[in-house]
Amino acid sequence: MVLTGRAGLLAAAGVVFVALVMPSWAGVGVVVGAVLVISLVDILLAGSPRRLQFSREGDNAVRLGEQAVVNLLVTNPGRRGRGLLRDAWPPSAGVLDRPHKLDIPSGERRRLTTHLVPTRRGDRQSVRVTVRAIGPLGFAGRQGSQQVPWTVRALPPFKSRKHLPSRLARLRELDGRTALLVRGQGTEFDSLRDYVPGDDVRSIDWRATARRGNVVLRTWRPERDRQVAIVIDSGRLSAGRVGDAPRLDHAMDAALLLAALATRAGDRVSLLACDSAVRADVRRPAPEDVLPSFVNALANVEAELVQTDFRIVVSQVLERLGQRSLVVLLTGLDPAAIEESLLPVIGPLLRRHVVLLASIADPRLTELEASRTDLVEVYGAASAARTRLDRERLTATLSRAGVTVVDEPPDKIAPALADTYLALKKAGRL
Amino acid sequence: MSTSVGRDAVETWRALRTPLLVTALVVLAAIGVLIATSARTSGPFSPDSTKSDGARALAALLENHNVAVHSTESLDDAVKSGDGKALLVGPSGALDDSDWQEIANARWSHLILIRPSTRALTALAPGVSLSGDSVTSRSREPGCDLPAAVKAGTVTVSGPTYIAPENAVTCYGDGVHNTVVQLHVGDQTVDVIGTPLSFTNDQLADDGNAALALNLIGTHQDLTWYLPQWESTGADSPDGNSPPLIPPAVRYIGWALAFAVLVVAIWRGRRLGPVVAERLPVIVHAAETTEGRARLYRRSRARDRAAAALRESALGQLHKAHGIPRRADPSAVVATVAARTGRDPAMLYELLYGLPPLSDAALMSLSQQLDVLTQEVRHP
Repeated sequence: MVLTGRAGLLAAAGVVFVALVMPSWAGVGVVVGAVLVISLVDILLAGSPRRLQFSREGDNAVRLGEQAVVNLLVTNPGRRGRGLLRDAWPPSAGVLDRPHKLDIPSGERRRLTTHLVPTRRGDRQSVRVTVRAIGPLGFAGRQGSQQVPWTVRALPPFKSRKHLPSRLARLRELDGRTALLVRGQGTEFDSLRDYVPGDDVRSIDWRATARRGNVVLRTWRPERDRQVAIVIDSGRLSAGRVGDAPRLDHAMDAALLLAALATRAGDRVSLLACDSAVRADVRRPAPEDVLPSFVNALANVEAELVQTDFRIVVSQVLERLGQRSLVVLLTGLDPAAIEESLLPVIGPLLRRHVVLLASIADPRLTELEASRTDLVEVYGAASAARTRLDRERLTATLSRAGVTVVDEPPDKIAPALADTYLALKKAGRL
Repeated sequence: MSTSVGRDAVETWRALRTPLLVTALVVLAAIGVLIATSARTSGPFSPDSTKSDGARALAALLENHNVAVHSTESLDDAVKSGDGKALLVGPSGALDDSDWQEIANARWSHLILIRPSTRALTALAPGVSLSGDSVTSRSREPGCDLPAAVKAGTVTVSGPTYIAPENAVTCYGDGVHNTVVQLHVGDQTVDVIGTPLSFTNDQLADDGNAALALNLIGTHQDLTWYLPQWESTGADSPDGNSPPLIPPAVRYIGWALAFAVLVVAIWRGRRLGPVVAERLPVIVHAAETTEGRARLYRRSRARDRAAAALRESALGQLHKAHGIPRRADPSAVVATVAARTGRDPAMLYELLYGLPPLSDAALMSLSQQLDVLTQEVRHP
C-alpha cells in the first residue's frame, strides 16, 4: 500500500476544512474518512504489480568505464498499469536512470531501458524490479517486487591499449618486416638473401656466397611459438591501493598489454591468477581468443587478504609449461613475503624457465622521501628511504638469483613490462 | 523469467515482533511512571513540595492536628460535593469563569482562597475585589477581632491586598487594603488570603504565621488542597474579561493536522523497493606500512634509525653518481665526494658516517644537509 502526494494534499485541505467549517470531532472524522475511502477505492482499482510479466535483453559485459544498456520488457496482462518502476542494481553497477514512469494499457508490452556505467570490476547482478502501481484517481496504489535476474560483467578496462601500436611497430622491426634483417635481431636462422650495401659484413654467409657466386647474407629473426605464462598474484600484496586503483588492477592492465603483444609476436600466452588458491586460469587459448578470454577470466578476480602461497604458484606453473618459457610474475616487492615465501621455492622454476618479476612501485613513496620540511616529514622520508633501500636490496637478491625485475609506477608498468619482453626476445633469451 | 518477491504473514510477524515488543514496553513504562507520579503534586505552594516555596511543613502541621489533607491538581476533585469539608485553592494556574462557578456550586463548607484572581473572587467571594495595592514583606498586627488572627498575633505579610464589603471581617490591613478577608456567603465561610509566602516552608516558622495558618485552614477534619493547573473544560463565555488567546477549535485542528502529517509521512516514507546492499572489496593504502613505520619512528624518537636510513639512501645516490664501487671504504668515498664537490672532507665524513643525531633539531639539519648534497649530485 502506498499513498501519493495527492492524498497528502487532501489531508492538508482537511485541516483547513476542520478549522473553518467543522471544528468538531465530526469534522475530523469526515476528513479521515474521506481520505481513507478515496485511498481504499484507489488501491482496489490499481493494477496489480505482481501480475506484470518481465523479461530482459541487452548487454552481458561491458568494459569498465563504458556504458552497458539493459532492456526490461514489461508485459501487462491485467488492468491498465500506471505508476513507477525501479530497476534496482547494486550501487557499483552505476545505474544512471531515475525510476521509470510506467503506463501500460491492458494486454500491451513496453520496453524500459536501464543504462549502467559500472564503477568496479566484476559481475553485477540485478537485484529486483519494484513496481508502484497508482490507482486511476492518483491518491494511492499498490507496490510489489519481482526478481528478474540479469548479470552484467564489468571487464578490466585495458587502459594501456594505447601503448600497443608503438610496441607492435618495434616488434615488426625485430621481426624483420620493416628493417634489415641482420645478426643481433634474433637468434633463429631465417633465410639467406643477397647482400645489399650497408649490411653488416659479419652476417655474410661465406659458404653460400661461394656456392652462389654472389654475396649472400644470413638473416635471423626472433624466436616464435614460445610460451609466456603470466602469473598474477591476487594475495594481500595486490590489495594495496596505488594511485587510484589497487595494485591488482594495474597488474591486470600490464598483463593484458603483454598478452596482446606476445600473441602478435607469435607466442602462446597463458594466464594464472593465484593466491592461496587458483582464482583465474586460462591455458593457451587460440591467438584470436587471448584478450577476450583473459578479460573474462580476470573480471571477477578480487584481492584476497591472505599471504600468497608461492609453492602453489610454482607447482601450477611447472605443471602446465613443457618447453622453456617466460614466466612473468606480477606481484609486489615486499621483502618479507618474497624472501620467506618466494625465494625458497623458486629454484625449480629458474632452472627450467626465464622468470620475470614485475612489481608496481608506489609514487607516494618518492613523494614521502622528497618532502623534508618539518620533523614529521623527515621521519616519513627516513621511513620511505628505508622501504626503497629494502626494495633495492631485494631487487639485487632476485637479480643474483637470475630473476629479471621490473619495478615501475602504475603509469609506466605496462609499457615497461612490454619493453622488457621485447628486450628479452631481442636478446634471444626466450 | 521473473519471480515475485514478497513477505508472507509469518515473515511479517517475524519482522514486526521486535518493534512491537519495544513499543509495548515503552507504553507500559510510561503508564507506570504516570501512576507513580499521579498522586503527587509539585511546584510552589504544593503540600508535597519540600522546597522553600513549597508547603510540606504546613501540610504536616495540619495532619498533626488531625486534619486529613488531600492534595490534588485535578479540577474534578475540586468540583465534587464538598458539604462539611474545606477546600483550599492554591495561587497557581488559570481557570475560566465556568470552572469557578462549578467550584462555587460544589457547596464547600469552608473555602480558603490563597491570592485569588479577579475571576475567582467574582465567583466565590462576591463583593471582594483587588485593591491594586500590594505590600512588601513586613510584620503586621491583626487589627481585627477575627479569633484566628487574634490568637496568632503578629504575622509576616506580603503580596496583594483586597477591598472587602461591609459585612466581611478584615485583618492585617489599614481598613481599606486588607491581606486577610473572611466573609460568609450563605452557609459557606470564605477566606481570602493575599499572602501565600507566609505559609511556605520558608516563612511558616516566623512570627505567628503557623498559628494563623492552623486556625484559618484547619477548621474542618477534611481538607482538599487544590492547586489549579492550566486546564479548562469549556469555552469561555463570550463576554469574558479577556479574549481567548487560542481558537476553541484548536484541538480538532490539531488532530486533523496530525492526520495530515501521518498521510504525508506514509507518502514520503515508503521507499520504492528496498535499499540494495553491496559487498565491497578490501582496499588498503599501499604506502600504509611505510607511513605507519614513520609514525613509529617519531613516537619512539628513533633518530638513530631515521638518520641511518637517510644516510644510506644518500650514500646510494652518491655511489651511483660518482661511480664509486659498492663496497668502497668510507674514507675513499669521502675523498671522492670531497674532490668532486669541493667540500671539507672532515665535515663530509661527519655528515655521512658520523654519530646519530642527539636531538630533533640535529636530525632536521642532517636531513637538510644530505638533501643539499644529493641535490648537487642530481643537478651539478
